[in-house]
Amino acid sequence: MEPYKNILTQPIVDMHNVSIRYGKDPEILSDINLTLDKGSFHFLTGKSGAGKTSLLSMMYLALKPSSGTVTVFGSNIGYTSREDMAMMRRKIGVVFQDFHLLEHLSAYDNVAAPLRVRGMSENEINKRVKELLSWVELDKSLDKICSTLSGGEKQRIAIARAVINRPEILLADEPTGNVDDDIAFKLMKLFVELNKLGTTVVIATHSTDLIARYNYPQIHLENKKLKIIPALRRIKNADQF
Amino acid sequence: MLINFKMRQQTELPLKEDKANFFLQISTGVSVFLFSMVLAAYFMTSSVIASWNRAIIDGMTVQIMPSTQAISADEEKVRIGKVIHFFENLDGVEKVALVKEKQIKRLMAPWLGANADIEALPLPKLLNVHLKNGKTFPFEKVSEDLKQDFPYASMDNHGLWLKKLVKSATSVKTLALFVLLLVLSASILSIMYAITTSLKVHQNIIEILHIIGATDNYIAKQYARRASIVGLASSLVGTLTGIIALRIISHLSSGLETGLIGSASLSATHWMVLVSVPIFAALLAMCTSFWCVKHNLKEMY
Ligand SMILES: Nc1ncnc2c1ncn2[C@@H]1O[C@H](COP(=O)(O)OP(=O)(O)OP(=O)(O)O)[C@@H](O)[C@H]1O
Ligand SMILES: [Mg+2]
Repeated sequence: MEPYKNILTQPIVDMHNVSIRYGKDPEILSDINLTLDKGSFHFLTGKSGAGKTSLLSMMYLALKPSSGTVTVFGSNIGYTSREDMAMMRRKIGVVFQDFHLLEHLSAYDNVAAPLRVRGMSENEINKRVKELLSWVELDKSLDKICSTLSGGEKQRIAIARAVINRPEILLADEPTGNVDDDIAFKLMKLFVELNKLGTTVVIATHSTDLIARYNYPQIHLENKKLKIIPALRRIKNADQF
Repeated sequence: MLINFKMRQQTELPLKEDKANFFLQISTGVSVFLFSMVLAAYFMTSSVIASWNRAIIDGMTVQIMPSTQAISADEEKVRIGKVIHFFENLDGVEKVALVKEKQIKRLMAPWLGANADIEALPLPKLLNVHLKNGKTFPFEKVSEDLKQDFPYASMDNHGLWLKKLVKSATSVKTLALFVLLLVLSASILSIMYAITTSLKVHQNIIEILHIIGATDNYIAKQYARRASIVGLASSLVGTLTGIIALRIISHLSSGLETGLIGSASLSATHWMVLVSVPIFAALLAMCTSFWCVKHNLKEMY
């Protein structure tokens, strides 16, 4: 059983002595170590400018560390080909704080995009996208161009796009930053469900309220360093949200 | 409900609306027009050169004047034999043949009448000198030597000035080739410029595409597809305009004294090449943009 255990416990993200700096600016994160196991759920916290977005960007392979090694899905991203990197990104869903949608395209096409880049047939795409968009209650807005949609609608499209590929990692950067509380908790419920299905989740947030309601560990960034605050409290009625 | 089954061949990059498109269409159209014209000029010059060369290779005529004194038939034969020998010993000469009297008679008939007694007339003898294919023949030098050794023989020198014409036509051909290459590289450069600009304009979209797992090929293909469409459409217009212009030019010049330039026409093969220019232009646009996108994306993370 040992080899199986090894495969199962192999970290999905592993950062070793990683530092980040932009150009010649001073380091934003310095010499940090982080291991994310498959199926884990973390909040990512820290003051504004602490480096939460930067840390997430490394995980979704949009930023290279200025030093140290980052390993995602077992491959060192410093030595991964562009082609393989694209394949890895297909297993990572990202929700950006500012959505990063293809504004000139319809809701449908935005959610379909991750499937199209994989070369999935339009029939299959049609089925999947319709299903998901109706699940996030956007089936009426399928053909509406993104730039004409409201913030809350865009948020749901962004989340639909992140999960359509059934990602192994879901990274959300303040997904509840500018929506009502009830929407925020609805979205949280979706993330919890995905996590139960095996997706590794990291959610960057400022909301102490949110953190307090869920019994998940925190990755906390402060003074260029990273520390893990374990989940201590068990909130029995967390599921009600 | 029909819309549910609508097949959407959606491309994520809005390349159709690119501002650079108009610039590309105009520059491709003009380039292809120029290219077609210069290519036609190149072909015409080539066929003119070929026909002149054929005339040169066909050989030349050497004229041997009759002796001013009365000489015997044998002496006459020796006199002619020496000139034949002179040419036979030259490098680049394939064959030397004495033009038969019958033939001279026929040539002279319009002037002398069919019944003229040629034997009795002091007519010059003619030699046909055939040259070897592909050899350069020093017309000028041979002509000088001949004059010195056999003052009674003379070489017609149309080969000589044809040679000179061929030489200048060949430099026209080289110039045309140079212009073709120039137009070609200018087009490639403007495609590359348009692509680089477009990639900058769409950087946001490209970043998003990368994050959702698009490969560089996926992005490059959208550019290549667009470029081949734009390339084909505008080069069709360019070539068509070029062909119309050629027809007009040939119509206008048909009234001119053509003589030697009569062979400056386009063969069926030449027309076929001209007509297929848009296909090559589209292929070139497609390959250039595909390669250019891939090359630029490599710089991104
Ligand atoms: N592309 C960039 N170029 C230069 N500096 C950057 C860049 N992105 C971020 N920074 C700087 O790095 C630091 C960390 O930024 P980051 O966005 O990671 O913080 P954050 O924790 O996500 O903040 P917030 O909570 O406000 O979103 C900030 O000081 C920011 O100015
Ligand atoms: Mg941030």
